[in-house]
Amino acid sequence: MMKNVYILSLLTFREAFSRKIFIFFFGVSSFVLLLFSILFLTISPESFSDITTNSVKSDSFNLTIAHGIKLFITIPLFGGGLFISIFSVSNFIPLMIEKGSIDLLISKPVSRVQIILGKYFGGTAMVFVNIAYLIIGIWILIGLKFGDWDTSFLLTIFTITFAFALLYTLVILLGIVTKSSVISMIVTYLIFFIISPILASRETIFTFINSNVLKSISEFLYYIIPQTSELSTITSDLASGNRSLNYEPLITSALLMVIILTSAILIFRRKDY
Amino acid sequence: MNAIEINQITKVFRANRNKLDITALNDFSLSVSKGEIFGLLGPNGAGKTTLIKILLGVVYPTTGSANLLSEPITNYKIKSRIGFLPENHKFPNYLTAEQTLKYFAKLSGVNHSNLNERIDELLALVKMSEWKKTKIKKYSKGMMQRLGLAQAMINEPELIFLDEPTDGVDPIGRKEIRDILIDLKERGTTIFLNSHLLSEVEMVSDRVAILNKGKLLKEGSVKELTTSEEIYEIETSNVLPNIYSIPEFSSYKITQENDHKLSINVGDDDELNFVIDQLRKHRVNIKTINVQKNSLEELFVSLIKDSRGKE
Repeated sequence: MMKNVYILSLLTFREAFSRKIFIFFFGVSSFVLLLFSILFLTISPESFSDITTNSVKSDSFNLTIAHGIKLFITIPLFGGGLFISIFSVSNFIPLMIEKGSIDLLISKPVSRVQIILGKYFGGTAMVFVNIAYLIIGIWILIGLKFGDWDTSFLLTIFTITFAFALLYTLVILLGIVTKSSVISMIVTYLIFFIISPILASRETIFTFINSNVLKSISEFLYYIIPQTSELSTITSDLASGNRSLNYEPLITSALLMVIILTSAILIFRRKDY
Repeated sequence: MNAIEINQITKVFRANRNKLDITALNDFSLSVSKGEIFGLLGPNGAGKTTLIKILLGVVYPTTGSANLLSEPITNYKIKSRIGFLPENHKFPNYLTAEQTLKYFAKLSGVNHSNLNERIDELLALVKMSEWKKTKIKKYSKGMMQRLGLAQAMINEPELIFLDEPTDGVDPIGRKEIRDILIDLKERGTTIFLNSHLLSEVEMVSDRVAILNKGKLLKEGSVKELTTSEEIYEIETSNVLPNIYSIPEFSSYKITQENDHKLSINVGDDDELNFVIDQLRKHRVNIKTINVQKNSLEELFVSLIKDSRGKE
């Protein structure tokens, strides 16, 4: 079972790598790392201290700078990195279920469950590698420059990958149902950039709107739609060194991930191709 | 021992609103013995590809069951002993021929020890060795077909399904593919061939079935189907007399094709000998007597026309 999933994941990984967009992602990450390396080599921590008042201790200021850089990396990485990743994987399923391609795959001694799991793990692994490369690179640079070796920043690799893994289940489900990469992509972006942020700030919104029906609907939607805004907040908290996190969005997202992926597998198992 | 056993399979594709359901296969049963080349013939939309897809688990039957190599088709693990070349197949175009074969070999459960040798051997067999390291996106249709065939053979299958294997291949390539199929048969592989090219099917198949609108019209050996046992062609060395004026022949269906050739429809050997005796009596020198043969194409066209006429 696992051997087949591994082989299919490997091919998906290779498929993702063959897309120029992932090379672009990798190139941008390398450029950012190079830019920070040059910046850190040319500017010393003392020069940052020079612009502070004497009352601010150098160590504490270094830490503030380090946290600022971490946030500067993780916030765009969460939004932009996931945007690129979703764009890149959105046609994995529609291409796979094309006539002539799916026939070949199903004619091999692999189950349909293994095919979907292979696609899922392969795509997620690719995103994980790209994000890990940038985050670990920045973490090392900051550690060397500012002496800040706080490992909580490294946990953002997992929260960002987790957010992708959650959205990717939706991309897979929509890909199987609609066979369209455009629909999968648009619906996922809609949830990621619009619906999730609105639902995350539902309590603020309902201080202005007094409707119990709308409140109940939004509360229901909040739990059945990927909570990417909450995952973004957790990622920012980890980047700032704050480990006292709200784990509820992680648990509900994990449950949702399992439900969406299981639904995708069940639909895929029943379909004729 | 049968390699394929199909028992009363029906497949109905449920249509969306305002459209009619499509019955692709209707109570279809068939057996294919181990080690034979079986040709499935039928016009477009006859249900040939649907049948192969059902056997390989790509499409689910509405009713009925089937076994491949004595295992039910629901057991996906049996596919490690099966090869398949789909019609208009698509390989990942970022892979080379070698990488493609390696990938499908691994998926088919082939062990690593002799895989590289096996890949080289197969690429040489399908005349693709020099393209081993070239990415698939640069291949022509014929090259894709050759690679597809190599892919179908990578796991040394006991049973191979080939859906239009010579599609897009030039005449020399077709001959080479036919030779490969005959070689596979000699090694004991069962081949299920699905093709529009009737003459090719006729050349390599041991048995054929003709399918139209999901129904089996005829099945049998190529010899059985192409031989009209009751019609004989008689060629003479001297000019024939007017056959129609001979009273002894009045009860037979005789066609005089020219001065030296006639065809006659007889019920059995006694009748044939009687006709020969009568011809000899009228001083006809018989040169050859042949059983009349129809090509598979003639049979195919007449069966399809008949089935359309009955609707």
